[in-house]
Amino acid sequence: MTDSSLGTANEHQIVNPYLLELRLLTRNALHLWGQLRRHPTALLGLIVIILYVVSAIAAPFIAPYDPTEQNLMARNKPPFWAEGGSLDHILGTDQLGRDLLSRIIYGGRVSILVGLLATGFSVLVGALLGSLAGYFRGRLDDIVSRFADLLMAFPFLIFAIGVMSMLGPGFSNLIFALSFKGWVEFFRLVRGEMLVEKTKEYVEAARAVGRSDLAIIFSEIAPNIFHTVLVLATLRVGHMIVLEASLSFLGLGIPPEIPAWGSMVAGGRVQLLVAYWISTFPGLALALLVLSINLLGEGLRDILDPRLKLQ
Amino acid sequence: MLEIKGLRTVFPTSKGEVVAAKDVDLTMEPGQIIGLVGESGCGKSVTMLSILRLVPHPGRIVSGQVLFFGEDLVKKSPLEMRRIRGKEIAMIFQDPMTTLNPVFKVGEQIRESLRIHGIMSEQAGSWPWGARYRLQAERDKVIQLMEEVGIPSPQARYHEYPHQFSGGMQQRALIAIALACEPRLLLADEPTTALDVTIQAQILDLLRRINETHGTGIILVTHDLGVAAEFCEEIVVMYAGQIVERGPTDEVIQRPLHPYTRGLLRSIPRITREKRKLEPIPGVVPDLANLKYNCAFYDRCDAALPKCEHDELELRDVGGGRLVRCVLY
Amino acid sequence: MRGIKVLERILATIPIMVGIAVIIFIFIRAVPGDPVDLMMGEGGYVSEEEMEAMRKAFNLDKPVHVQLYLFLTQTLRGDLGESFLKQVPVTDLILDTLPATIELALGALVFAVLVGVPVGVISAVKQNSLVDRVSMAGSFVGISFPHFWLGIIGILIFSVTLQWLPTNGRLDSGLSIEHITGLYVIDSLLLGDLELFWNSFHHLILPSATLGAAVAAMIARVMRSSMLEILRQDYVMLARAKGLSEYRVIVRHALRNALIPTVTVVGLQTGVLLGGNMVVETVFGWPGVGRMVVQSIYARDYPVVQGAVMLYAFTFVIANLIVDILYTYLNPKIEL
Repeated sequence: MTDSSLGTANEHQIVNPYLLELRLLTRNALHLWGQLRRHPTALLGLIVIILYVVSAIAAPFIAPYDPTEQNLMARNKPPFWAEGGSLDHILGTDQLGRDLLSRIIYGGRVSILVGLLATGFSVLVGALLGSLAGYFRGRLDDIVSRFADLLMAFPFLIFAIGVMSMLGPGFSNLIFALSFKGWVEFFRLVRGEMLVEKTKEYVEAARAVGRSDLAIIFSEIAPNIFHTVLVLATLRVGHMIVLEASLSFLGLGIPPEIPAWGSMVAGGRVQLLVAYWISTFPGLALALLVLSINLLGEGLRDILDPRLKLQ
Repeated sequence: MLEIKGLRTVFPTSKGEVVAAKDVDLTMEPGQIIGLVGESGCGKSVTMLSILRLVPHPGRIVSGQVLFFGEDLVKKSPLEMRRIRGKEIAMIFQDPMTTLNPVFKVGEQIRESLRIHGIMSEQAGSWPWGARYRLQAERDKVIQLMEEVGIPSPQARYHEYPHQFSGGMQQRALIAIALACEPRLLLADEPTTALDVTIQAQILDLLRRINETHGTGIILVTHDLGVAAEFCEEIVVMYAGQIVERGPTDEVIQRPLHPYTRGLLRSIPRITREKRKLEPIPGVVPDLANLKYNCAFYDRCDAALPKCEHDELELRDVGGGRLVRCVLY
Repeated sequence: MRGIKVLERILATIPIMVGIAVIIFIFIRAVPGDPVDLMMGEGGYVSEEEMEAMRKAFNLDKPVHVQLYLFLTQTLRGDLGESFLKQVPVTDLILDTLPATIELALGALVFAVLVGVPVGVISAVKQNSLVDRVSMAGSFVGISFPHFWLGIIGILIFSVTLQWLPTNGRLDSGLSIEHITGLYVIDSLLLGDLELFWNSFHHLILPSATLGAAVAAMIARVMRSSMLEILRQDYVMLARAKGLSEYRVIVRHALRNALIPTVTVVGLQTGVLLGGNMVVETVFGWPGVGRMVVQSIYARDYPVVQGAVMLYAFTFVIANLIVDILYTYLNPKIEL
């Protein structure tokens, strides 16, 4: 046991531990921000993501039209710069005369929400089970690991297609299908990290001063593996968004009446020869968002994971 | 056979240009064994790699000549250089464990040297009938080579992978690779450093036998003056990219001239009854990107004089085949 | 020794395959309510007798453990049930469409390797050059873009604008080909019909590139980083000191080592290939298993969906098995 690890354990007894952790958290967050600011591609990703999130939240205020409003007089109108286009519909209209820009703005809501919720549930379940399985081992670990191995045998999209074909399209069904497979990766990551961390000296020290197992897991070890989970979670948000869009593209994700990028691309596919914009722009919106998320994720990995930084 | 004149190899770094080999002069006769001695980072390996023109990017040779049988290697085209590497001049590296390619059979790696320089082509005749005979001839030669370097049961070990060899055996295999084309010069870069002491002696023995039977000239690079003293006819001491002293082994050992050589000798442990105090040389090798004094050894030298700070230094011939770079002589 | 280890590894996949079947079985049954009700739920046009027949077909009239037993033994025999829609065994439907899917998957894999490996190697050899930066940016984009959009962009550029490549199917309409292997590109060559070969090859290019792009990007990235690592190794220096040409040093000595981590990545990426397969087949009207599954989902033809999902999962397991075995042949240090 080193002096420093004993030191932290003692501090917990003197200072209110929650206050201490809060302070640590803010300090870490500030530190992370400081490094992120100097990482140009990650910063670019973050800025684009923020723009998307803001436009999704403010959709009712910034979208020029109701995204579901049909105008059969103005079908397949091209974007404003093309011949026949006008500033009334900046990105043009689709085959039912709905304003494409408004639909793209609203579509962002679905993608971002699905990405965040599906990843959130996956992290929650995966990290919880992973911590417990890695720390306590035993029967729980055996059963959950075996089940995780089985789920790993399915390619992600295939699994989601299978489940969605049973449950039918729908927002909550989608979240369920994605999370049901998504947790496995986080489970494996956290379990592995837990196996390594629990043999380290600071854990011994905490045990020596009589902290309970749960306290050790959640307030001693968790902060140390938080960053690896954060990196994976960031990258997975992008993955989930692509999966949602692919399912919606196949008509298995979000019901068609809600604007979603995947189904918009699918809807415009038939019109590709006459109105390329219906498919192209929603897909572009999607691709840009995913690209930005990946940029941020890779940047975070550079910053937070020193093992990979050595390269 | 080999004559290096004013060789200068530099590495650009963020802190400035590092001169890793600074005006190196060296001459060597066929069949001679020369020991190149110095601390790590003093430019020994870079000098060796410069001879073969294999200085890793972004390092480069900026001036000087490397005359090999009168031909300047620095001016050779890449293709001409390739015909010399492995064929005329071969090299043995420091760490045998990482020098053999892990995915190829050891025998095949030795055979590649023969193959690439067409060693067995003449005997085998021309394609298509020759191909098979050549392969067989090459295999036989590999096994003969493995035998020569002391790898037991070469028939079987031909087909083994490097990880199935011990460190000493790997180094023997590497020597077999180097020996394959009967080079006239062998550059041995710390060939025994990574090995156990008993294996070290065997490998040095092997190198000496090769020198005697094939007349191969050897430059042995080592940080161990003891090894060099035992093995070489002539010793060249390098410090901070420069040769500081050169001379016949016995002379250099018994009457070292340069303060650095004296320091090196004092810091070698010896097995004797009487307790002798080891005297390490104080300080560390200076930062090559940022040399303050004309004499790179100035701030570690126990015989430094005020004039050392700025006086011109050159490798001076002091008679008896000895050269030294120091204002004292 | 290696043979036995390989066999052991093959046997170890059996419990996983059984597990996959069990999971699929559970999923069908765990859906709230009677699966047949759910499957037929939306339309009121199914008669009570038909529902009863369907329950029988799914063995729903028997206890659960009997159901599971029957399900597993039937699956083992290759009996995946009968299509609701076409009244033919699902296995036959899959076997009919499988060659098209295999052709597309192989095309994608070939594309991914042919593009990914050289790009990765060149990027590593010319580290930090313009070529390196452009290809790494390109591969980043390749990883981020979803298949369906990439396919549509491909159609817009190469079919609509440039009119180089067809957008739909495996052959121009009106053409047909005698099935030998079921892979048209190969069959046409076997038949010696160059016109058919070019036609089928043209049809294959865009779907393959779309499906293989992400994998190519992944391979390029892994290849680059492992090449960078390997070019620093002593054995590369030895290869140069032997007098080998730089080409031979890179292609024979360095590449062979860099392939080891790359193979692992390709193994993991087969999941992407399989999942993307459904999307790409749909985009390009490629008459393979994936498109059939998607159509079956619309038609609520559940036995087909189930059987195909199982097939995809099995394929994934087998692909990973092959990668594991391949790995041992590439890396002499590993013995499974």
